[in-house]
Amino acid sequence: MPDLLLFRLALLDLVRPKRLAASAPLVLLPAVLAVLWKAAAAARERPFEAEIAYNTLAGGMIFGFILVILAVLFGTGVVAQEVEQRTIVFLLTRPLPRARILLARFLGAFVGITLTVWLSTLLLGAAVFGVSGLSNSIVLRDLGYLPVGALAYGGLSTLLGAALNRPMIFGLFFAFGWESWIPILPGAFQKMSIMTYLRALVPHEAEDESATGGIMERLLARLGPDPIPPETAGWVLAATIVITLGLAMFIFSSREYAPREDAE
Amino acid sequence: MILLDHASRWYGQVMGLNDVSCVVPAGITALLGPNGAGKSTFMKLVSGQLRPTTGKVAVLGERPFANGRVFRRLGYCPEVDSFYEEMTGREFVTLLATLGGFRGDALRQAVQHSLEQVGMLPNADRRIGGYSKGMRQRIKMAQALVHDPEVLLLDEPFNGLDPVGRREMTDLVRSLAESGKCVLVSSHILYEVEHMTRSILLIHRGRLLAQGDLYHIRGLIDRHPHRIALRSNTPRELGRALLGLEHVVSARLDDRDPCRLEVQTRDPESFYSTLPALVLDGGFHVTEFESPDNNLEAVFRYLTEQS
Repeated sequence: MPDLLLFRLALLDLVRPKRLAASAPLVLLPAVLAVLWKAAAAARERPFEAEIAYNTLAGGMIFGFILVILAVLFGTGVVAQEVEQRTIVFLLTRPLPRARILLARFLGAFVGITLTVWLSTLLLGAAVFGVSGLSNSIVLRDLGYLPVGALAYGGLSTLLGAALNRPMIFGLFFAFGWESWIPILPGAFQKMSIMTYLRALVPHEAEDESATGGIMERLLARLGPDPIPPETAGWVLAATIVITLGLAMFIFSSREYAPREDAE
Repeated sequence: MILLDHASRWYGQVMGLNDVSCVVPAGITALLGPNGAGKSTFMKLVSGQLRPTTGKVAVLGERPFANGRVFRRLGYCPEVDSFYEEMTGREFVTLLATLGGFRGDALRQAVQHSLEQVGMLPNADRRIGGYSKGMRQRIKMAQALVHDPEVLLLDEPFNGLDPVGRREMTDLVRSLAESGKCVLVSSHILYEVEHMTRSILLIHRGRLLAQGDLYHIRGLIDRHPHRIALRSNTPRELGRALLGLEHVVSARLDDRDPCRLEVQTRDPESFYSTLPALVLDGGFHVTEFESPDNNLEAVFRYLTEQS
């Protein structure tokens, strides 16, 4: 029961007007781009290739951007939200083990991330294939794998939130820097990115390269090592989830979260 | 019930608490000190939010940091005015009681009782975001009391309370102490503290300056003569007579009130025992008699000046 209350509390944190206002444009963005794509194709009297459009936007926007940024926003908030609003003192002076507090709040964030990216995917699917196309196998596959990405990115973001004082800065660097560039670097570098394994698990084959990157990115991608088998990707992602969450629970159980009061 | 044994706490290069050793028994103990003295660090160490850098902190015989066994028996009312603003007062207290292990009827009863104790039953189902400062203070107190703890840490519990509220809170704290609990109250409103307890811990610049009975501590401060004010229709003559006593250091007439005489003595006890005879023998008419130094404010001022 206490876990359920903490889960609910974390979930309620995510539906605050400020957070909803920040998430809404992200959720709508892929669908809006799909509509614009469709309109541009019609204006040029070219055929609209639905699968290419979906794969490009799902791979580039939903998996490559929205999932990561929402995981950073919600995942770092698992601890940082309580620290910033200074309510963490009430939670940390109760007999509930700290690891349970973190896990319950993480699950709330995980559900929040998953529901948001699912909504974005469904809207994109509807915009590309029409409402009847929501049962498209690619859409259903993505809906199935997005929670894996939410767990992996959410776990890492929660770890950042538990370990660092300003996790959002590091999280944004991770989202816009690391996860954008490491997957396209040559050699073994790309194996240091969650996105590499996620793409190996959920490939969006028909991605329109002109939409996702320039010539340099395409060149670097061609220089990369052999593709990672999905099974390996699955195991690496599972290990990432377990390790990041385990570390986050350990740090949260032993770290001090009381701010220093200069003026007592 | 609370023990600090050479406990120090540093924040990097900044000292929060320096080599503090003390024991806080059952009853009310006031934790006093000016801003930045280390009161909040003290409270955070005892409430298990911080670990001491060196030394030991124990509550009910155990180290409190992240210790569930201690938190079952400890209630903490923090100074911070932060809440889950969307919740009602009852939801807030219920949440924290649930995290404390309460379920079912026991949970409902505990929440109801704690809300009643702090006088928040009529407003318990309103959103915390709409509460006045005093109500927020009361609901914070309710969450500290809900699990009927043996040790209660109250960090500035009177902030935002009106005079009636302060009185009610003082009575509540007293009744809790009378039931055998250990109550540590940090406050800068010395008047309220003085009305609750004579047992004090005085901290200044991270060090424990004084510990024990307020009047006993006052008596130990012999560097600062004890002030006694008297009102008489013959203050000049009375002052002259009092200056004849060995332990009286000075006698001064008040500029604004010609009938008021302020005397300083190094030995208040001798002064009080000698004064009646001196007044009677000299035929003086003394209408008022007070000791401005016998209050906490004066003790606090003297001790912090000394350090």
